[in-house]
Amino acid sequence: MDNATNFISIEGLKFFGKVNASISHEIKNILAIISETAGFLHDLTDLAKQGEDLKLSLLESCSESIAEDIQRGFDTIKQMNQFAHSVDVPIKEIKIFETVELTVKLSNFLSFSSKVEIENGDKEDKSILTCPFLMESLIYQILICVYESIGPNGHVLIKFDSQKKDGTSLIISTPSNFILDGFPTPDIQRAAKFLGFELNINSSNQKLDIWVPYVSKEIVALEKALQINSKS
Amino acid sequence: MKIILVDDEQKFINMLAKRLTMRGIQADVVFTGRDAINRVKDTAYDVAVLDVKMPGISGIQLKKELKSIDSDLKFIFVTGHGIASRSEANMIEEDLYLSKPLDIETLIKKLNKIIKTG
Repeated sequence: MDNATNFISIEGLKFFGKVNASISHEIKNILAIISETAGFLHDLTDLAKQGEDLKLSLLESCSESIAEDIQRGFDTIKQMNQFAHSVDVPIKEIKIFETVELTVKLSNFLSFSSKVEIENGDKEDKSILTCPFLMESLIYQILICVYESIGPNGHVLIKFDSQKKDGTSLIISTPSNFILDGFPTPDIQRAAKFLGFELNINSSNQKLDIWVPYVSKEIVALEKALQINSKS
Repeated sequence: MKIILVDDEQKFINMLAKRLTMRGIQADVVFTGRDAINRVKDTAYDVAVLDVKMPGISGIQLKKELKSIDSDLKFIFVTGHGIASRSEANMIEEDLYLSKPLDIETLIKKLNKIIKTG
């Protein structure tokens, strides 16, 4: 179990760094747009002082643009906040769809991300006992592999299949060629192992099936080990 | 002066182009590396202002491709990332690099300098 906690610590830092870097880039881009728009308004004001007509339509579109980007900034910060709270409790019950949706949004800040559509055919968002941070890291790394395979113009579909009673399948597929060289990577394999998830690749029909048990024996053991560590 | 702006953040680059035009600089806008390559094949520009990281191609890689089409084309790099890797930092001289959000007057000074010095 020490291996698991060491792995989570090291990989966790790398994952945290990657996500924070992409979020900071997104926020910088948003501020850059607002800065340019504010600069344009300043330019219009200067022209107006020189006697040029001030077009109200331009003022209106600039203010709408600023409002849109401020909302984009708030949405980004909300996701950053949700992500930051993933580490509040190492093992806890979470909603699968909500967690996958957050991870997809975080991955969309990457410059090479593809378009992702998530279909949840289940009537309710199923709960699982897991390490939220490690699960997010695993899905994020898998998505990176898929994005690198299909490129920024590609499309990814994630479906949930909860026909079995003890868990859910996340099925990742793409309409284009899905060449995952070297997949799964050692880090992805280890993360899946510590979570008790199973990865099955069907390269003939371009599908990756991630089996997510609602409660895995690996997570129960990890929870016990963390409780022991915290008492000692 | 005629420049080409290349960035996948469309709102940013469209607004920057408007402000440069107001200052007498003709600025064409494209949002992808592929479009930049196609445009430079047809049109002569003095300077290309490139985002360091774009979907599908890095600014450094794009510079190589554009330079092979027009060897006289000069370059300025813009980024919201900061230069993360040493190798990237070594490939971009400090004078040719600007960080977002941009100060337009600083950009214009760099454009004028790069045109004069070559």
